[in-house]
Amino acid sequence: MIVSEKDINEQIKWAQINKDVLRSLENPRKAYWVALFICVAMFSCAIVAEIYQYNVGMGPTNLNNPHMWDMYIASFVFWIGMSHSGTLLSAILHIIHADWRKPIYRFAEAMTTFSLLTAGFFPMIHLGRVWNLYWVLPYVSDRGHWPNFRSPLAWDAFAISTYLSASMLFLFIGMIPDLAICRDNTTGWRKKLYTLLSLGWTGNDRQWRTFRKTYLLMACFLIPLAVSVHSIVSSDFAMAIMPGWHITSFPPYFVAGALYSGCAAIITLFVMLRYFFRFEEYMTTAIMEKTAKLTFAIAMVWTYLNLVEFAATWYGHNVYDKELLIAKAVGPYAWVFWTMIFCGMVVPFALAVQKFRRHMPTMFVVSLFLNLSMYFERWMIVAPTLSMSHQTHQWDVMWPSIIQWAIVFGSFGWFGILFLVFVKVFPSVSMYEVKEMVYHRKREAESDEAPATGKPNLEGAS
Amino acid sequence: MSLSNILNNWSHYRRGAEEGGHHTYEHRWAMAINLDMCIGCNACSTACYSENNLAVVGREKFDKGQAMHWLRLERYWDEDSAEKEFPDSGAKFLPMMCQQCGSATCEPVCPVAATYHTPDGLNAQVYNRCIGSRYCSNNCPFRVRYFNFYSYYETSWPEPLNLQLNPDITVRDKGVMEKCTFCVQRIRTAQDTAKMADRNIIDGEFTTACAQACPTSAIVFGDTMDADSQVTRLWKKHQVVRHTTKQDKRNPELRGYRIFEELNVDPSIMYLERVRDTEV
Amino acid sequence: MSGPVKRRDFLKIMGATGVGGTLAGCDLPSTVTLEEGKEDVVSYFMPEEYVIPGVGVWFASTCMQCTAGCGVHGRIREGRVLKIEGNPDSPVNKGKTCQMGQAGLQGHYNPDRIKEPMMREGGKLSAVTWEKAMGVLKEKTASAGNKVAWFSGTVSGHQSALISNYLDSVGASKNHYTHEIVNSAVWQAVNRDMLGDSMPKLDIENAALVLSFGADFLGTWMSPVHFAGKWAKFRSVSSGPGRGTLIQVESKMSLTGGNADLWVAVRPGSEGAFALGLANYILMSSPEAGNSLSGELKTHIASFDMDTVSKLTGTSQDYIKRVGDALINRSPSLVLAGASVEGHEHGYDAVAAVMLLNVMLGNIGKTIQPSSPSPFQQLEARQGGTRDLVEFSKAATAKEFDVVFFSGANPVFTAPESLGLTKALENTGFKVAISTFPDDTTMQADLVLPLASYIEDWGTHVPAYQGDGNVLSIQQPLMEKLYSGTKGLGDLLLELLKDKNPGQYGAYKDYYAYLQDAIKTMQGSSSVKGREANNKNFWNSTLQAGVINIEGGNKKFALNNVDIKVPVSASDSDYPYYLVPSPRMGLFDGRHANLPWLQESPDQIAKIAWKSWVEIHPSTAKKLGVERGDIIELSSEHGSIEAEVYTMKSIHPDAIAVPLGQGHEEYGRFAKGLGVNPLKILTAKTDRKTGELAMYATRIKAKATGRSEFVRMRGNKTQGGRKFVRTINVDLLKRTEGA
Repeated sequence: MIVSEKDINEQIKWAQINKDVLRSLENPRKAYWVALFICVAMFSCAIVAEIYQYNVGMGPTNLNNPHMWDMYIASFVFWIGMSHSGTLLSAILHIIHADWRKPIYRFAEAMTTFSLLTAGFFPMIHLGRVWNLYWVLPYVSDRGHWPNFRSPLAWDAFAISTYLSASMLFLFIGMIPDLAICRDNTTGWRKKLYTLLSLGWTGNDRQWRTFRKTYLLMACFLIPLAVSVHSIVSSDFAMAIMPGWHITSFPPYFVAGALYSGCAAIITLFVMLRYFFRFEEYMTTAIMEKTAKLTFAIAMVWTYLNLVEFAATWYGHNVYDKELLIAKAVGPYAWVFWTMIFCGMVVPFALAVQKFRRHMPTMFVVSLFLNLSMYFERWMIVAPTLSMSHQTHQWDVMWPSIIQWAIVFGSFGWFGILFLVFVKVFPSVSMYEVKEMVYHRKREAESDEAPATGKPNLEGAS
Repeated sequence: MSLSNILNNWSHYRRGAEEGGHHTYEHRWAMAINLDMCIGCNACSTACYSENNLAVVGREKFDKGQAMHWLRLERYWDEDSAEKEFPDSGAKFLPMMCQQCGSATCEPVCPVAATYHTPDGLNAQVYNRCIGSRYCSNNCPFRVRYFNFYSYYETSWPEPLNLQLNPDITVRDKGVMEKCTFCVQRIRTAQDTAKMADRNIIDGEFTTACAQACPTSAIVFGDTMDADSQVTRLWKKHQVVRHTTKQDKRNPELRGYRIFEELNVDPSIMYLERVRDTEV
Repeated sequence: MSGPVKRRDFLKIMGATGVGGTLAGCDLPSTVTLEEGKEDVVSYFMPEEYVIPGVGVWFASTCMQCTAGCGVHGRIREGRVLKIEGNPDSPVNKGKTCQMGQAGLQGHYNPDRIKEPMMREGGKLSAVTWEKAMGVLKEKTASAGNKVAWFSGTVSGHQSALISNYLDSVGASKNHYTHEIVNSAVWQAVNRDMLGDSMPKLDIENAALVLSFGADFLGTWMSPVHFAGKWAKFRSVSSGPGRGTLIQVESKMSLTGGNADLWVAVRPGSEGAFALGLANYILMSSPEAGNSLSGELKTHIASFDMDTVSKLTGTSQDYIKRVGDALINRSPSLVLAGASVEGHEHGYDAVAAVMLLNVMLGNIGKTIQPSSPSPFQQLEARQGGTRDLVEFSKAATAKEFDVVFFSGANPVFTAPESLGLTKALENTGFKVAISTFPDDTTMQADLVLPLASYIEDWGTHVPAYQGDGNVLSIQQPLMEKLYSGTKGLGDLLLELLKDKNPGQYGAYKDYYAYLQDAIKTMQGSSSVKGREANNKNFWNSTLQAGVINIEGGNKKFALNNVDIKVPVSASDSDYPYYLVPSPRMGLFDGRHANLPWLQESPDQIAKIAWKSWVEIHPSTAKKLGVERGDIIELSSEHGSIEAEVYTMKSIHPDAIAVPLGQGHEEYGRFAKGLGVNPLKILTAKTDRKTGELAMYATRIKAKATGRSEFVRMRGNKTQGGRKFVRTINVDLLKRTEGA
C-alpha cells in the first residue's frame, strides 16, 4: 500500500518556522561539531600534501608519461557534477513550480556554490606551474599574449568562473528575505552581518515584486549555464582524440552524471542536516521520497546513456575504443569499473522501493553508494584511457599515490567545512518559501477535500 | 594576427589540413626513418640526451615512467609471439620521437598556447609559457611529450656534470612539458649561418643529433620544401604525401608510411617498413 | 680549471677540425665569465684564440669507450667540450657513433673522478702529493726488480709501446697482461690457425647471407659502429648482392639477434654441434664441399646427423634444415662466431667448426678477406682476453709480483670468485692503480694514480679491427684538464721511463712532445698516405684529420686444417641450466655503469634500466614456479646471486641470462650497489686449447626465493594490432626497390 504523506505539515505556525530554523543557527547536535572537526582534519592533510607537491613538483603523485591526468581531474569533474544538483532543485524545479523543493533547495544551492569552490581548486592543484594560473585568463598583456581560445581548458576557466559567480549570486538573492528575518531576531555580530547582507530588506510590496522577477530571471539564466558548464567540462575529454574520450554523447552523458551525483549528494546532506538540526518537521520523509524518485529517474537516464555509449563503442568500428572498453571490463581497472556499474546502475533500484525511500539511514547508505559510483565513473573516464591509448609501448597501469589521495580526501574536508559553516551561519531552510508552501498547502487543504497530493487515492478507497 | 586579417583571410584560415592547412611555411622539416636499417642500438637516444640537456631521472623515477627520453627506442614482439616458442624473426625496433605533426593534436588543446606551430612546421614548445596542464601530452597519440615531474636539474647533473650542458638550449625546471624539437637549436644556427652568408640552407649542412649519431644512417633529416633534399627524394620515392589521412599511392607496395596518419595528425616522419626474409 | 697549461696555449696546440656551427641565438655576447675562485677573469671582449664566444669549434680525437677505436669530433665552446660526434675521416666509424661514444662526456665530467693521488696508509686510502706518490712508486719498483707486472685492458699505439718499453727496461717483458671480458680471442686464435690471419676482414656488405653464431657484431663484437655501417650496406638493396639476410643462432637474443631474419635459439654450448650438423647437411647435398677436409674430420662431421644435432641443440630439425638450405642456396655467405660460442671448454673447436663452414662454402677470399699488416707492428693493438686474467691470477697467487700496475682494466669486478683473484691480490706486494674512477680494483690498490679522462689526454690508437683501411687514430685533448691533480697515461709512462732510461726519454718534456716527435718521424715512412703525408705542416694536419692513414702490406691466407672435436653428447649435471652473462651495447662489460646516460638507456631487448634482472624463458619460469618480478636465486658451485625475474621468449629454455654491467661494489654514486654481477659465480673452466675463460659454460640451478619485487607493467609486448612497425617480406622489397 502506498502511504501518502504530506510534504509538510500545513498546520505549522509561521512563528514556529522562524523559531525552528533560527534555532539551527545556535545549537546543533554534537554530531555537527564532530563532523566539522573531521572535515578540518581532512583538509589539513590536503594542505600538507599540497605544500609538499608545490615544492617538489608533480612527481610524488605517481603521475607519469601516459598518466598525465588522474584523480585531480576526476575530482574536478566530480565536484563540478555535484554543483548541478543545486541548480536542478532550485532553478528547474522553481520554474516548473514543484513546490516540494522549498524546504531543501537552500542547502542544495549552497552545495552548488561550495562544490564549485572545491572543483575550482583541482585544475590549480593539478597544474605543474600553478603560480602562472592567471595565464589562462584573457587579461590585457603588454606582449599581446592571450589564452588559446581553441583549448577546452581555456573554456573551462571561463565557464567555471561564470557559473561560480552566477550561482553565488543566485544563492545570495534567494536568501535576502531570510537574512532579514535573521537580522530581526539576532543580536551581536550576527545582527551586523545580517543587516549588511539583507540589503535593507523590509518586505514591502515593491521589494517582493522586484525580488520575484530577479529570482526567476536568475533561475532562467542559470539553467542553460549549468548545462553548458558540464558540456564544456565534457569537452575536455570529448575534444581530445583519445579512445574513450572522443565520444559524441559526452555532453549529455556528463550532464546526466552531474545531476545524478548532485541528487545523490543532496540525499546525503538531507539526512545529515535533518539529523544535525532536528529538521524533521521540514525535511520530511515525503520530500525525501520525492527527491529519491527524482534521483531514480536520473539514474535511469544515466544508465541509459552509459549503455548507449557501450553499445556505440561495441558496434562502432573504432578499434581503439573497443579495445579500451574491453580492457575496462576485464583489465586491471575492472574492479573499479564493476563497482561503478553496480553502485550506479543496480543500487538505484533500491530507490524504487518505498520502504527504503522512507528510511533515512538506508537512504544515507544508498546515497553514499551512488556518490562512490559517480566518483568511480569520473575516474574510469580519466585513467583507463591514458593507461591504454594508441601507443602500446606506453601502456601503463598506474595507481594514485598517497599525495593524490590526501588532496582528494582533503577536498571533501574543504567542502564539508564550507558547508557546515554555512548551515551554521545562514538559515539552511528557506523560511519564507516554507511559509509560502505551508500557506498554499493549507489553502489547498481547506478548499478541496481531495488528498494533498492531488491524486485520486484509489487504494485508500478500496 | 589582427581582426581585419582574420576577417579578410577567413576562407584561408578555415582551410583544413587535408587542403593544405592555413600555414605559410618557410621550411618543412621532416624525417625518413628506415626501419629495416634501424638496429635498435639506442645511439640516437643517447645522442639526444647529450645534445638536448635531457635529465637523467634515476632508477625509481624511470621505473615509474617519469623518464625524459625525447627519443625512445620501442621494442615490439610479433603479434603471434604468444603462440610461438621463440620470436624467430627477431624483435621490432621503432625510434619514436615527436612527429612534428602538420595538424598536431597537442597544439589546439594547450590553454595558454605554449605549444604552437612554427613557420617551419615544427610543434614548438615554449617552456616559459607552459603552465603544466599536461593536456598536450594527453592528446598526443604518440605519447612523446615528457613532463618535468620534478626539478630534475637538482639531481641530474651533480657537479661537474653540469659543465656538459649545451648552452644553446635551456635546462627545464619542474612543471613544464618538453619534447623533441628536431634539434631546433641546430636549425636556427644553420638558418643564421645561411642568412649571414646570404644563401639558402644547403641540404646536409646540418642534421639532428639522432641522425648524426645513427650508426646505420637509418634516420634522414631535411627540408621537404627543398625539392632536392634527400628527405624530399625519399618521400617522393615512396610516394608519401602530406595532408592526407590515407596515402593514395600509385604503387601501393612502396614501403613509406606514416604512423597514425589516419587520425589526421599529418606526421612529419615517414617510416620505411621493416623487411624480413621469411624464406629462410 | 687552472693547470700548468694555460687555455691560450692549450688551444694553440690543438688543431681545430674546422669550425662547425656558428652563432647560436645571438651575436657575440658581451658576457664576462667569472668562475669562482679564479683570479684572472678573462673578458670575452678579448677572446682567446679559437674561442669565439657562442660558437662551437670541433676538434678531432679518438673514442676510448671500447676497444674499437672510433674517431670522434668534440664540440668545444667556451673551453668546454659539449658534444661528441663521429669523425667522418675515420675509416672505422665514418662519422658515426654508438651510445657509449656519446656518453664519453659523462665519464669526463663524472662527479666521482679521482682528483688526486691516494696511498693506502693504515688500511685506508688517503690523499698524498704526486711527489710522494711517485717517490714511493720509484722506490717500490726499484726494489721489485723484474717482479713488476702491468695489467691493462686492450692498449695500442704509443702508450702500448711505452708500456712494453717500460717492462723491457725492468726486465719484465713478458709481464704485460691484457684483459678484456668482452673479447674475440678464441675467434682470433682459430683464424690464426686456420687462415694464418687472426683478424681477417669481414666483408659483411657483400654477403648475401650472414650466419652468425652468437656474434653480436651490431652490439658488442669487435667494432660495432663499423659493422653497423657495413650492416646498412648489407641491408641496402642498392649495394652488393642486394638486401642480405641474417640468421642468428644463439641461446639468448643479442641486439644482432633482434635484427635477424631468422633467429634460432640453441642450448648454450651446442653451437659447435649445430655448425657441424650444418656441415653434415651441406656435405650430404654437395659432397664436393668437403674436398679439403681430412677423412678424420669427415667422420667426425658424419656423427652429427639431424637427430643428434637436434637433441644436442634443443632445436627443432626444421630450423636446422632451414639454416642449412639457406647456406646452400645463398652465396656468398659469411659465417661468424661470437663470444657465446667461444666461452666453453670446447670453444676453440666450436669456433673452428663455424669457420669450417666458411671454408666449405668457399667464403674464404670472398667475404672473408685477408687483413693488411701494418708496418708499425709495435703500435698494433695488444688485445685483451681472459686467458691473461687466469694466468695473472695464478702468477700473482704464486707471489711472482712485487709491483703490479693496473690501468684500463677492472679485474676485481670482472674476475670470477673461483679464479681466486682476491688471494692473488693479497699476495701481490704493491698494487698501483692508474685510474680515472674509483672502481672496484682501484679501491683495493695500495697506490692510486689519478688518470686524466681520455678526453683530456694525448695518445694514439690503432683499432684492433681495422676498418676500411689501416689507420692510426690520434687522441688529443678536447679540453683542459678538469683537475690539475690528474695525469695522462702517456705522461705517467714517460715519467716512469725517464727514471729507468733517461738517455732515451729524458729529452722529452712531456708525452705531448714525445708524441709529436714520434708522429713526425712517421711522416718519413712511405706507408703514411693521404693528403697529409707530404704536408709541411704534417703535425697540424694530422691533428685536424684525427687519423693517419697507413698503407698496409699485402697478405695471403695460408689455409690449414685444424683438429675439431666437438662433444657428441651433452653432459648432465646437478645444475640444470647454463648461465649466460650477456653484455650489451651500453653498460658493456660494466665499465660504463657509472655513466648515467647509459644506465638510463634501457637494455635494447628487455627494455629494463638501472638494475639487474634474470632473463628466463616463460616455460622455464613456469617450471620454476616464478613470474616476472619474483626474486630468483641462481647458484653455481661458486656462489649465488639473486635478482628479479624477467620472462621473455628470446632465450633458450635451458639458458638463464643475467646482463653484465651491474653489481659494482665501488665505482661511484651511479654504479655502486646497483644490481648483481653474474661474473662472480662463474666456474673457472677454460677453453682446452687457448686457455681463455669458458665464460658461457657455467652450470647453475635456480630457485624461487618467495620474495618478489613490485613490477610496474609498463608497455605492451606487441603492437596490439596497430601498425607502428610494419613488416613486409623481402619479395615485396625486390619488386619495389629491386633487391
